[in-house]
Amino acid sequence: MEYLQSLLKEIGLEPERARMFNLSAAMAGKFVEAAKEMTEKVTELGPNPLKSKMKDER
Amino acid sequence: MIVAEQKSLEEIKKLVGNAKKVLVAGCGTCVTVCFAGGSREAAIVSAELRMSTKLAGDPKEVADVTVQRQCEWEYLDEIAEQVQGVDVVLSLGCGVGVQAIAEHFPNVWVVPGLNTKFMGLPTEQGVWAERCAACGDCILGLTGGICPIARCSKSLLNGPCGGSLDGHCEINAEVPCGWQLIYDRLKSMGKLEVLMEIQAPKNWRTSRDGGPRKIVREDLRLVSEEK
Amino acid sequence: MAGTNGYLSGSNLERVLKNGHFAVTAELGPPQNADGNIIRKKIGLLKGCCDAANLTDNQTAIVRMSSIGAGAILVQEGLEPVIQMVCRDRNRLAMQSDLLGAYALGIRNLLCLTGDHQTFGNHPTAKNVFDIDSTQMVQMVTDMRDKRVFQCGEEFKGQEPRFFAGAAESPFAHPVDFRPYRLAKKVKAGASFIQTQLVFDLEAFQKFMEKVRELGVHKQTYILAGVGPLKSPTMAKYMRDNVPGILIPDELIKRMTAAGAPWAGKSKDELTPEDKKARTKAWQAEGIKICIELIQQLRETEGVSGVHIMGIEWEEAVKPIVEGAGLYPRPVVTEPQAA
Repeated sequence: MEYLQSLLKEIGLEPERARMFNLSAAMAGKFVEAAKEMTEKVTELGPNPLKSKMKDER
Repeated sequence: MIVAEQKSLEEIKKLVGNAKKVLVAGCGTCVTVCFAGGSREAAIVSAELRMSTKLAGDPKEVADVTVQRQCEWEYLDEIAEQVQGVDVVLSLGCGVGVQAIAEHFPNVWVVPGLNTKFMGLPTEQGVWAERCAACGDCILGLTGGICPIARCSKSLLNGPCGGSLDGHCEINAEVPCGWQLIYDRLKSMGKLEVLMEIQAPKNWRTSRDGGPRKIVREDLRLVSEEK
Repeated sequence: MAGTNGYLSGSNLERVLKNGHFAVTAELGPPQNADGNIIRKKIGLLKGCCDAANLTDNQTAIVRMSSIGAGAILVQEGLEPVIQMVCRDRNRLAMQSDLLGAYALGIRNLLCLTGDHQTFGNHPTAKNVFDIDSTQMVQMVTDMRDKRVFQCGEEFKGQEPRFFAGAAESPFAHPVDFRPYRLAKKVKAGASFIQTQLVFDLEAFQKFMEKVRELGVHKQTYILAGVGPLKSPTMAKYMRDNVPGILIPDELIKRMTAAGAPWAGKSKDELTPEDKKARTKAWQAEGIKICIELIQQLRETEGVSGVHIMGIEWEEAVKPIVEGAGLYPRPVVTEPQAA
């Protein structure tokens, strides 16, 4: 995970865009929490610059 | 094995320059085992290149391919077509691999994606250490199987210098003193007397100092009529 | 042999040692610039106090005036040089040609050394050489003298360089057990004298000498024990903790600390410049005193033929040390070698 984050950083993307949560299939509450947390984080960071670049190309 | 380390993405981007089509060429042998330039690393580097150049507004077409051994023509023939179709080949092979590509494909621009470090072995997961300096005239028989050329910072032949302390070299506490290792091993094997013999100056001609090296085995060569 | 009166080189150091005098050599560190007057100033401090002065060769891998260049100034000024040569910076070609030049300039003593690794110095990105090691250098130099051949085996046509050649030993570097044997090896290679790393721990040194005597090496070479004045408790602790092969007993550190006791417990700002000066003086006096005591005990040690005083950029200390140890004035040996 650390390695992947370092790669993202090197590429020029925010490393926080990738995270790993460790939970079992029975941990619904935790899952929702994690999904919320990531949604918030990603909303805060804004759309993936790579995606917007793609649109520009179109 | 040959141990290598990947260059930074920044340096790789500089080497790739303004080429539009890039082929990242991995190698399936030494650099795969040391996690520097195998198929996995080739895929990662090509994704990194694709993403970062796109972010910079200069998108490149990056593909990757890995051959069993970049250092043999036969394996390179397999990728001849892919190699010819790009502006630059980023080789994740060792220095031999990069040169093999340059030599085999005279019209192809090839750049290195790795720094070739040394010949060595993994001492633990994620750690590699140098063992052989390829001096061309092996003296391991005199030193209990531990090489003073590769493992003594000064390549001394007649014992340790005055900088050996607590088993490490004067240059760095992380570097074991090669001569302490030799001494300990010979002592444990009851062969310390070997160290009392004065070793004459080494013939460095068999090393790089004699110029580029080459081995010719006439017994193995295909004679001209067979060619 | 082409030597004079049975001497290998006829140098003053060789004559002093061969005639049974307790020898004194001192270290002279060349400057990090091209000012020959600095050498002349240091000559003034050492002349008459030692039998020969060692000129370091890019010590600690920091570029300094060459030992041969500085050595030529010593020859002009009448102080006999021992030039040091390390294996780090020259291959066998450069070593031999420099030695021919050094001999032609009147230099007669040579100390063969491995050399500190270049990563310590001010050019850490340099390529090192280490074509031959110090043992092999001793052999090369003595073969040039005794067999009149270059390292490659080719014979000299004309004057061969005749050096009184020595080597170094660090008695307390590791592996400690191997050190007497390493010394023996260098002597077997032809080292006529040995200068040791700084000795502060006499007990440890006696153990080393015991082994050396057991091997009979002290009868085949002249061993000059390395000594030097401590300058302050801080310097003593630094050397003890950071320089491989230097042992400094707690007792000596205590003595150095005690010497500065009148000023102890005060912070830097509380001490006036006069206080600091007085404290430095007290430390230096104690350092010199310790050094003198060490020399006196080393003189009593069987197999020790002299001392090598390393002031480490404090050449002023050499005279009081030599005088205090009763080794002043230095002998003048003009008579031919005792049979």
